[in-house]
Amino acid sequence: MSSISTVILLKRASKVYHEGETIAGVAVVESSSDVRHEGLSLTMEGSVNLQLSTKNVGIFEAFSNSIKPMNLLNTCIELAPPGKIPTGVTEIPFELPLRARQAVSPGYPGLLETYHGVFVNIMYTLKCSMKRSFLNKPVNASCQFFVQYRPKEPAPLKPVRCEINPATIRASAPGGPRAPMPMFQIYAEIDSTVCPLDKPLTGKIRVDECSVPIRSIELQLVRVETCGCAEGYSKDATEIQNIQIGEGDVCRARDIPLYMVLPRLFTCPTTTTVNFKIEFELNIAIIFDDDYLVTENFPILLLRSR
Amino acid sequence: MPVYYEWTSAKKSNRIKHDSPRFEVTSYPLKINVITIKESSSSSIIDHINKWSSGFEEVDPLLRFERMSLEEDMNPLEVEKIEGVNYSKAWSTKRAGILSKYTTGEKLTIVSSYLPGGEKTLIRQVSNLNEKVKHRLEQLDDFDEGSVRKTMGLTQQEFVTKINLLNDEIKKAWETEQRVKAFKIGIQCSKLLSDISVMQFYPSKFILITDTLDTFGNLVFNRLKEKSFGSNTLVNVHNIDPRTVPESAKETCQNWMYKMASIRELLPRLYMEMALLKCYVFISKDEIKPAVARITTMIRGIGNPLVAAYLRVYLCHNASKLLGKDSETYFYANLKEFLEEYQQIFLTAMRKKYETQLLTQDKYLNLYVPAVDWLLFGTLNSSKCKSDLLDEFIQKCEQIENNELFLCCIVSAFDSPTVIKKAPKILEMVLSYADKMVMINEVLASLGEHLCKADNHRQVASESLIQTWWKIASSLKSTNHFLQVLEPWLQFACTHLSTQHVNVILRGMIRYMIKCGKPADEFSGNFQFVIKRMLKSIPDVEELFLMDAFMPLVELVQTSSARTMMSKTVLSIFFSRYNSVHIEDHIVISSLMRLCCILHDSINAVTVEDESKICGELINKFIQAVTYQDDLERQLNFYVECRSSFIKLDAVLITLVHAVNTLAARASPARGKWLQRACAAYCFVTVPSLHCTLTKTQLYLLSGQVALLNNCIGQAESNFKALIGLIPDIPDYILEDGQKKSTHVKVAGILSDFLSTLLLLPDNVDSNCKAYILSGFIKTMERIHWKKTEPLYYNTLVRTLDLLCEMTQDNYMHHLESVLSNDELYGCDSEFIDVLNRYATNICQELLVVLKMLGDNKETKKQYHLSLELFWRVVRRGELTERPMMSLAGNLWMLSQKTQDSNNKLGKAILTALQKEANPNIRILLQKLEEGVKNS
Repeated sequence: MSSISTVILLKRASKVYHEGETIAGVAVVESSSDVRHEGLSLTMEGSVNLQLSTKNVGIFEAFSNSIKPMNLLNTCIELAPPGKIPTGVTEIPFELPLRARQAVSPGYPGLLETYHGVFVNIMYTLKCSMKRSFLNKPVNASCQFFVQYRPKEPAPLKPVRCEINPATIRASAPGGPRAPMPMFQIYAEIDSTVCPLDKPLTGKIRVDECSVPIRSIELQLVRVETCGCAEGYSKDATEIQNIQIGEGDVCRARDIPLYMVLPRLFTCPTTTTVNFKIEFELNIAIIFDDDYLVTENFPILLLRSR
Repeated sequence: MPVYYEWTSAKKSNRIKHDSPRFEVTSYPLKINVITIKESSSSSIIDHINKWSSGFEEVDPLLRFERMSLEEDMNPLEVEKIEGVNYSKAWSTKRAGILSKYTTGEKLTIVSSYLPGGEKTLIRQVSNLNEKVKHRLEQLDDFDEGSVRKTMGLTQQEFVTKINLLNDEIKKAWETEQRVKAFKIGIQCSKLLSDISVMQFYPSKFILITDTLDTFGNLVFNRLKEKSFGSNTLVNVHNIDPRTVPESAKETCQNWMYKMASIRELLPRLYMEMALLKCYVFISKDEIKPAVARITTMIRGIGNPLVAAYLRVYLCHNASKLLGKDSETYFYANLKEFLEEYQQIFLTAMRKKYETQLLTQDKYLNLYVPAVDWLLFGTLNSSKCKSDLLDEFIQKCEQIENNELFLCCIVSAFDSPTVIKKAPKILEMVLSYADKMVMINEVLASLGEHLCKADNHRQVASESLIQTWWKIASSLKSTNHFLQVLEPWLQFACTHLSTQHVNVILRGMIRYMIKCGKPADEFSGNFQFVIKRMLKSIPDVEELFLMDAFMPLVELVQTSSARTMMSKTVLSIFFSRYNSVHIEDHIVISSLMRLCCILHDSINAVTVEDESKICGELINKFIQAVTYQDDLERQLNFYVECRSSFIKLDAVLITLVHAVNTLAARASPARGKWLQRACAAYCFVTVPSLHCTLTKTQLYLLSGQVALLNNCIGQAESNFKALIGLIPDIPDYILEDGQKKSTHVKVAGILSDFLSTLLLLPDNVDSNCKAYILSGFIKTMERIHWKKTEPLYYNTLVRTLDLLCEMTQDNYMHHLESVLSNDELYGCDSEFIDVLNRYATNICQELLVVLKMLGDNKETKKQYHLSLELFWRVVRRGELTERPMMSLAGNLWMLSQKTQDSNNKLGKAILTALQKEANPNIRILLQKLEEGVKNS
């Protein structure tokens, strides 16, 4: 029995493309014998998948009403006309321009950056398909690639400063008498709430005073995804990553740097479209030795800029 | 063949004087040149003593591995030409030092998911998950293969094994393409460093784990290198050009960095970034320095000062590997950061932690020392002007509280000349903090070490320094600390101050030791170090004994073992440093005598042989060195005293006998004979207490000879009598250095020496037997149970025959000046000659028996030689005119020719010698021999 397999290899190792660029690569067909086929085609697809969370709508609706994927891109080219592929490795080079769809339907957001979230997913794939006579199954191969915006001019920095002490803490988690709050005076600073995606997020935090030992100081990156449809919308905040920046009872009155490298794929520029929104927030959490937790929230704007 | 030949010795009155040229000389030509060599190299005696233990001094296996791994580290890729300092070398010494210093007997805990065994636990993480979810996750984790296991109660060795296992696991995972697993193991390893439950072991743990992290870093680096440059080995960290790195390798590297940056916990993230620091070269060289600077500040986030300090060490270590000389600014930056957070070390929270682990504060602070040392090491290399830097640091010390740790580190890190300049200032500072300072002993000790290196006397105000120092030292609470501090300072005092000053310090030391209320034995180890140091550093070692405080100090220890050790130390160093041949000073002699007595008294039935050998050696040195110049009587008294003091040691007694014999030979007759007699009596009394028969024999002979020389005939005779009595007791073999050795050669030598001495010995006219001693000897030979075919036996008989013949002469070959030998005593009395001839006949008879036995035993070679030897005696010494002698000679010749071996060299030589003779008897003999040959 002859075996046949196809693989798509992209020229660019990072697989990151900007709109207007050409995606170049080869489709590799490896076969142990001569193969007849009914044509080899390459499809470029891009889509947004939205999902309603169970929190906001009933479980039923979440399944039934899961929103239809939005199509961002769909191009198809023929790599080879019907014919025969010889034994061994055959490489078929291809080039595809990455361009947004021309005929714009209302609400079409253009090419969005690749993003992997919980309720929103933006994905781009290349699919290679070899049709064969109806007795044989078609041979498929697919390959993801990533779309990024072209970097814009850097936006002006928007630093924020804040002080955290018992007075500034909102009475969170109502109900039930809480243990008396320890005395503390903490100063935090974020260099800019407008952050370029490929630069780390920086700032500093200083514990000026704290009556109980601190166990940990953490930096939490949170995505806020909002999905809207005819039935309503859902808004969910979920954690992307949590980075510890202080361990143990840190020295008082010392600036501890905040430093977080934004993870790829799980972040994208803050996006707002008709159907969904992707926003990001940053939490600074101070955990005391008795598990007492104090957090401060900062909404941040992520940008693709230099 | 007649069985009996009567022996007649030839009178050779005409033989006199061969015509050899003669001239008068002032000294005896064959006298052995006595060269007195003082062993000049100071170590020689130690070497000499050590030679007995050299067998044990192979490099022990652990050390050997250590050396091997050091060599491995020196692989050509790593050896980089870094201008200035070789950091990798410095690190590896540091590394070894830490591993050997910080050990523990406590139980350790390891947490890992990649090790077999151990109970399953989920480590509680700091997270915001609610309990329910956490519980579910825990359940899930239980099924997960990689669940976290906690192994408790590990010993140090087991812990090390586990870490090595993890190290191997990383390599294995890497090779099997499970790179993420390797990464995870790396993270887990670095997490172990946040655990300070056994602080004492922390520095070593740090080393072990960072080694593992290095392994991981190298794996990543090498793979990226291979991806970029193939197997080109010439490429290394320093010459990679990021522009030539292919995109795919850059992408991989970038991926590692993202992966590393998303590690949740701070400590593993920092450690992993440091381990991967060198991979930044694939992306951009400019990223390394900012990264190092960034990590330097990020370490502030680590609250635990111990963890943070070692984190900085690893950062600087990696920076030095990458940046070489340029890294020194980061050393300084990290040191400054450390100082900023210095007070964290003394927080009550930390105090509680180390107190629950039963650590004292000085032990706790000592944990920081290697870290601070390393930071200072790099900082000092960068600084051009060290003395300014020291000023700055000293100022800093004055500003901060609890400055002892930093002070201690800077004193030990800076070089001596710089520290010496600031010594008074530092000492002042210590004095002002003295009552609450913890590591005061370390500071003072290292300051003292620096001062010891001061060579210029004017450079330092020694006296005031010592005074300030004494103020501090004498109020130290711990005796161990006191002794530790004393060690270098005493050396300083010895080299820079007068003997009086040193004496005052020694007195103070005695006072302190008595005041401290505990017996000095508890500190005998440190005590010895102090004494050793002093002995080695004092310019004139003899002066020590002249100080009135020295001997009481040495005897401060009470237990006998400690005393023995002390005396041994003092004596061996004294003799290695003492540079004249003789000791004359009475105080020194009596002090040394005291020490030797202590040494001697320590010997008992269970003392090992080597031990007593060393003691004997030392005491011998002492005995040989003591001299009272011309006061021979006192000298003898000294030897008498020595004998009574050192009776247990044979080696010493032997030396004493030799020494007394020397003394006897030195004693001139003008002084009266009593001294010589006393010496002879001393020897005669001393020798029997020895154990080795052979040695006894030798010493009897020697003493007898010396007595004879001094014309003490009676004493000589008794010595010889004792010697003869001993001959049957000499064993065939003796143990020497653990090997059985035949005594025959030695015995033969002693006996022929003895026989030649007998020629000089005048006969005992009181006895009714002529040739009294000789006849005793012959009788002993008759009764002796030696094997007759043994060369020792028949050669001795041949020699005796020689002597007998020689004794019949009118005028003996040699004489002693004052001694009346037998030739003059008897003047060839016929009765005497008859006795001698009778003995000769008997011996000759015995020899013939031996010859026959040799023939029976088919020992033809021996038989051949003996027959020719005997033939030669007969020809040369016998009276050939007598018929029996002539026929004996003939028969012996026949025998020898019959049994002759292949070349008959000896026979031919004898024959040619005879042919030159003009003596008519010989002519007749020759004729007869020729006939005999023809007949046969």
